[in-house]
Amino acid sequence: MPKYAMVIDERRCVGCMACVVACKKENEVPPEQYRTRVVEKVEGTFPTLRMELRSELCNHCDNPPCVYNCPTGASYKNKENGMVLLKKYRCVGCKSCVAACPYDARYINEEKGFADKCTFCEHRVKEGNQPACVATCIGKSRIFGDLDDPKSVVSVALRDNHSEVLLASTGTRPRVYYIRKFGKPE
Amino acid sequence: MEITTTGLNAITSPHLHVWDWRVSLYLFLGGLSAGLAIMTSILHVRKGGSLAEGERAAISAPIYVPVILSVGMIFIFLDLERKLNVFWFYLTVQPLSPMSWGSWGLLVFYPVSIMYALAMFPEQKRHLLKFRQLQELSALLSTYKLKLAALNFAMGIFIGVYTGVLLSSFVARPLWNSAILPVLFLTSAMSAGAAFMIIISNQKKVKLYFTKVDIWLVLAEMVLLPLFFYGQYTSSGANRESIMPFFTFSHDYFLYGIGMLLLLVILPIALVMKYLEVKEDHGEDLTASELMKMNVSALMVLAGGMIIRFTFVYAGQLSHLS
Repeated sequence: MPKYAMVIDERRCVGCMACVVACKKENEVPPEQYRTRVVEKVEGTFPTLRMELRSELCNHCDNPPCVYNCPTGASYKNKENGMVLLKKYRCVGCKSCVAACPYDARYINEEKGFADKCTFCEHRVKEGNQPACVATCIGKSRIFGDLDDPKSVVSVALRDNHSEVLLASTGTRPRVYYIRKFGKPE
Repeated sequence: MEITTTGLNAITSPHLHVWDWRVSLYLFLGGLSAGLAIMTSILHVRKGGSLAEGERAAISAPIYVPVILSVGMIFIFLDLERKLNVFWFYLTVQPLSPMSWGSWGLLVFYPVSIMYALAMFPEQKRHLLKFRQLQELSALLSTYKLKLAALNFAMGIFIGVYTGVLLSSFVARPLWNSAILPVLFLTSAMSAGAAFMIIISNQKKVKLYFTKVDIWLVLAEMVLLPLFFYGQYTSSGANRESIMPFFTFSHDYFLYGIGMLLLLVILPIALVMKYLEVKEDHGEDLTASELMKMNVSALMVLAGGMIIRFTFVYAGQLSHLS
């Protein structure tokens, strides 16, 4: 069974937002709503400033609060590939999952009413393709693959670099990893 | 020092507020209904049932319980984005989801409260029930009064706690993620129930009894609220940040500050008024001004309960871990 994960190499992100556009096009995300975003965080005091470009999306947690809080079982963790997915027909739009997600990764689809989220483009992955955001990333900042395969790009990237997850203290055990400044020199 | 952050949450995009006034109102009415159920059971059971003798509220209060709950349920139903899928709540049990066990709990609470109202319907007034089957059911249930009172009491506690657990289970919202919240909501619900009982009752002894009950409950609220804020303040940075809307009179958080000020004024005044009501030497019947004072202090307690629900629901969504 594959154990899919995504690695975000922040050093390679140029903030072109192509991932955001590709995701919206691929998944027909309504206007002004997003399954993924690129957070621009500026730190420091002028003129010594530093900007972090951080791609954020559903973390497909191994311990997902959105799944535990879903009252109808609409949100679930796919046992085969570890993706956190949604049975749209069961969603009542109670917004419990939206409130439960520490990553603000879920939103109510304004056109259809269900609590939408990133699916790691499961439909594309099933066909052997990369998620739309990964396929379109010009800086190769987004890396996707199987953690159980030691030769996969994600396994290699995580082996060669120091990585972090967001809000590790919440115990959600995310499957989206971030490579920041501590990696090996390129 | 961070200068700009472009995230996607209720702070950067206020339209992303997850739950609005409908949920706040549901939590208040659900709590009121639960508190009233508890107080109704107390009314019927305490002092060997003599408290309920000749009391109007002994009949009307159990009827108010499912009615208030229904009004609250209308608001939570209005909040659902896909209303036609509501049946899915009852085709599954999600043991880790408070909303799931709350919806199942409500399914038990409803018939219990209706059965209790029927059981407490006095024999001489049973002819007012429109259908013969209802009259027979009322007669049958009246033989299980004590057991139903216990069940009604237990379900009231369950629903009162549930309204708090619903919020406190979210690790993502530091303001809500406190074990004190369910206890605070239960206390506030019971206090609102006692206040409502004071308003609807017609006998002096019942009004004064529930005034005494409410004094202790308001006092408990006044202890729990500072404990809650103290707990948050001494916890992690995110928890400390989460309570700031209540203590920052800035433009963005002005309403939360006002809410906190109102609580600081309303609860102690209501407490003092209630204390004076109990201490006052009343005559045979309560005078119009005494009745007005009792109703005003009860309304203040109800307003306090509503302020707690509204401010906590909204401020909790502003609180954030990152």
